[in-house]
Order: sequence, then structure tokens, then C-alpha cells
Amino acid sequence: MDLQELSTTARMARLSLTSSEMEKLGKAVEQMLQHFSHMKEIDVEGLAPTTHALLRENRTRDDAERTADVSDVLLANAPQREERFIVVPNVL
Amino acid sequence: MDWHGTATAERLRDTWKEFARKRNQELGCFLQLDPELGREGSIEEGPLAGVPFGVKDNIAVRGFRLTCGSRILRDFVSPYSATVVERLKKAGAVVAGKTNLDEFGMGSSTENSALLETRNPWDVRRVPGGSSGGSAAAVAAGIVPFALGSDTGGSVRQPASFCGVFGLKPTWGAVSRFGLVAYASSLEVIGVMAKTVSFAEQAFEIMRGQDPMDHSSLPWLPHAQKVGRLRIGVPRECADVPMHPDVKRTLQRTQSLLADLGHTIEEVSFPTFDHVVASYYVIATAEASANLARFDGVRYGHRALRADNPEEMMLLSRTEGFGDEVKLRILLGTYVLRSGFQDEYYLRAQKIRTAIRMDFEKAFAGVDLVLMPVYPVPPFERGGADSDPFSQKLADIFTCSANLAGLPAMSFPAAVENGLPIGMQFLAPAFAEGLLLEACRQVEKAFPSPDAPGYPKGWS
Repeated sequence: MDLQELSTTARMARLSLTSSEMEKLGKAVEQMLQHFSHMKEIDVEGLAPTTHALLRENRTRDDAERTADVSDVLLANAPQREERFIVVPNVL
Repeated sequence: MDWHGTATAERLRDTWKEFARKRNQELGCFLQLDPELGREGSIEEGPLAGVPFGVKDNIAVRGFRLTCGSRILRDFVSPYSATVVERLKKAGAVVAGKTNLDEFGMGSSTENSALLETRNPWDVRRVPGGSSGGSAAAVAAGIVPFALGSDTGGSVRQPASFCGVFGLKPTWGAVSRFGLVAYASSLEVIGVMAKTVSFAEQAFEIMRGQDPMDHSSLPWLPHAQKVGRLRIGVPRECADVPMHPDVKRTLQRTQSLLADLGHTIEEVSFPTFDHVVASYYVIATAEASANLARFDGVRYGHRALRADNPEEMMLLSRTEGFGDEVKLRILLGTYVLRSGFQDEYYLRAQKIRTAIRMDFEKAFAGVDLVLMPVYPVPPFERGGADSDPFSQKLADIFTCSANLAGLPAMSFPAAVENGLPIGMQFLAPAFAEGLLLEACRQVEKAFPSPDAPGYPKGWS
């Protein structure tokens, strides 16, 4: 993968890499992609893809109200807040 | 050794707590060791009354931190407990604390933890394995008789093997994942590491079964139990994997032991063997890139201090919060899912996954269990002198196929060579945990989990 592709991928993944990280991680990514390329050697003609080995059907829950009484602990984990609102930098 | 009441009975509690504190200082098993906090909500009776256990720090326990070994979650406190933890507490067990791990479960040495270094109780210069290394070390050191881990590609079995204890990776869906921080959802399952087969079995029986909080959890439908002489298959392709002589010898000795116990050893074939690692890493990283997208610095976790807009805040928070291995896997996963590359990588890996499942179906038409090594080398030294991150990934070859096929597997201590434990594993058809446990119990009679140096004699 060239540096341009790597930096496009990093941007999509919301990661900002320094030039030394680009070099180090780029090498590791390349090594893995090389390894992935061996997958070409196996014949997969006619095989359906497996997303989950054992999941058979979609299951839904009852459309009923539930309470979980965890809002205070959840809010306490927020990095910045004002009363019960979570603060973020200005969007506009 | 009887562990009942260890964490609760007055005459045992203090001796145990002092031992745990001291051993943990030497080995770094726990990120948070707090049995007093762990007793909250535990009842005083039940099959595991007063038995302390460790919980890998990617599994939620109300009131404890849930760091995943990452800077991005260093201060996060769990609002609720995982279903497995609730169920074990109802059986009387007590959470001793949260154990160290490779960041988000990504690694084979626990050296990818951003927060703590964990040592192998057999030799403190060596790694405990990973990613559930803290749990394995805590069990092997005798701080707890069992501990929870998660197994995405071998993360329960490999550290159990490195530390000389048992490691059960259940059938995918047999145990609720509610409260487990997601890494690769289609592969991972909560498992247990234990000093004895009996503790692994008890913990598994309490944890398993469908959970309304996890819609991918499956009802417990045990595979028909077979007794007596078993047919055990060893993949022919194992011989082609470069293995340390100690591991090769242990594989041979285990086959002789099983034959002595009256079982039949047969050769089976896995034509997909060479491709399991590639297929595994494509799928695992793809799922990781999606699952870890939730860490954005907005509602919880690390937030970068100086950012002018939400996009920059997200970018800097993730960049500062994640370690190198996590970044590598997110990058890889993002890449293999990019339009234009999906067919070449992700789709192809999923088709290979189908071929791997078919290999297992064919094998289990002829044999009851499959026997394999857990890892090609004995516990390696800390600091990466004899094992780099790339070769550690290739070394997942024996463990990750069970995850791709969703099948249960259990590792067991099989030898001590040059002062280091070496493990082997059985793999079984879906929901045949009963058979795995029975086979391990037979092996345990001949070769119980060896005591690591400093293992306690008791608490009274």
C-alpha cells in the first residue's frame, strides 16, 4: 500500500498519523496485506460467504418499555458536561 | 484445595487477601484488585459460595473500571455488570478484581496493555500469553481458582497454555456476550480459565444459556454425549507447521497418553489449514474497525484537550487513546472494507471461512474430537526478543480456526518442559462442551495442572 492509500485509509478510520507512525504502521500493514494475498491461492468458486458460523435467524425483542437506572453513572463517564448535558466543541 | 469461603469467611479472608496483594505486586495480574468492592451484590450461599474469581478487564463489573487495557478507557467505570458476572455472583462467587489484557484483546502476550506489565508465574522474564494474560497468570499463581477471559482467536486457550492451567472457549453464542466490550463480534466468546476441570465446568454451567440482553446468544442444546472409547483426530497439516521441539514432543506424548486411556488416534485432513490465519485477520480486523468506531471522545473515554471542532476532537482523541497494535488493526480493517477492495479481501475471507467450516464438518463425521497444539512455541520472553508481532499473528494457526467455525475448544496442560508449561487442545462439534470437559478430566487424572513456583497450599 503506498503512502497516499495509507493516509486515505487513516483518514477514513479517524486516525491522524505522524510521519514516523506512517512508516512503522505502513510496514506492518504491508506485511499483513502480503500475507492476505495468499488467499488468492484457494478456490472459493461456488462457496457462500459465512458472516456468523452459528447464527440461524434474526431474533427480535418485545417492543416494550424498560428502565435501566444507569443514567447517572453514564453521565459521570462523560469527559465534559454541564449538568445533564454533554459538551462538545462548536459544530458551526 | 478447597476455595469455598476464601473471599468471605473471616478466618480465611485476610490470609488470602494478603497473599493476593503480594503476588499481584510481583506479577501484575490485576489492573484493579478489590475483593471488598467485588463482594457487593454477591450472595453468601450457592455452589461457588465465597469463591473468588478474576474478570478480564474487557468484561463489565458494576462499580469497577472497564479499561480494556487502553488509555482511551483508562478512567471508565462500568454502569452495569455483564450477564456472566451477574450469574456467577448469584451462585455465590466473588469478583476479586479486573485482570490485565492486550489492549482490547488484541495480542498474544499481554504486552500490548497500555496500563500494566504482566509476568508469567513460571518465569517472570516471560510473557503470560494473551490476550487474557492477567486472568491466566492469576489462576496459575493461585490468587483465584478460575478467571474469565474472552477468546476471539485463541485469547483464552493460549494464555492458559502458557501458564499451565485449563482454558475453555465455548461454542459461539453458548454464553451471553452482554457486557463484553466488542472487538470481533462474529468470532469472540467469553470463556473460562481454571486450575481444575471441575472449576471450568462449574463456571461454564452457570454462565451458559440464552440471555434476553444478547440477541445472538443461543439456547443450550447439548450435543449427544458419547462415553467410552473416543475417536480423536489429529490434522495431518499440523506436521507442516514449524514447531518448537518441546511442543512437537508434547503432541506426540499426548497422543500416546490418549491411546493408553483407550482412545483411538486417527489422522484427519484440513485442506484450508494454510489459510485460516489470513481469513481470520481479515475478518477480525474488519469487525474491529467497525466496533472500535464507537470510541470518539464524545460521551465517554479519553477526549483530546485542544480541538476546534468535533471532527478534530474525534481524530485526536482516537489517535492519542489507541496503542500501535489497535491502530494497525483498525487501519487493516478499514482498508479491507473499502469499496474496491472488499471482494478481494473481506468477501474472499468469508468464503474461506465457509470452506473451514466444511473441513470441520467432514472431520467430525469421522472423529469425536480433534487434537492440536495450542501454540507452536513455549512461553516466550518479554520485550519481543524472540517473537515479533507478525510472527505472533502467524502463530494463531492452531487456535483461530475454532473461532472461525464457532466451535468449542479446550486447552489443557500437557507437559512441563525446561521449567515451562506446554498445553494442547481438543476441538469439538458445536455444543459438545460436555465431551471436551470429559476428555480433559481424563487427561487431568494422569496430568493435573502443575503448580507454578509459589503456588499456595491453603488459607487457614
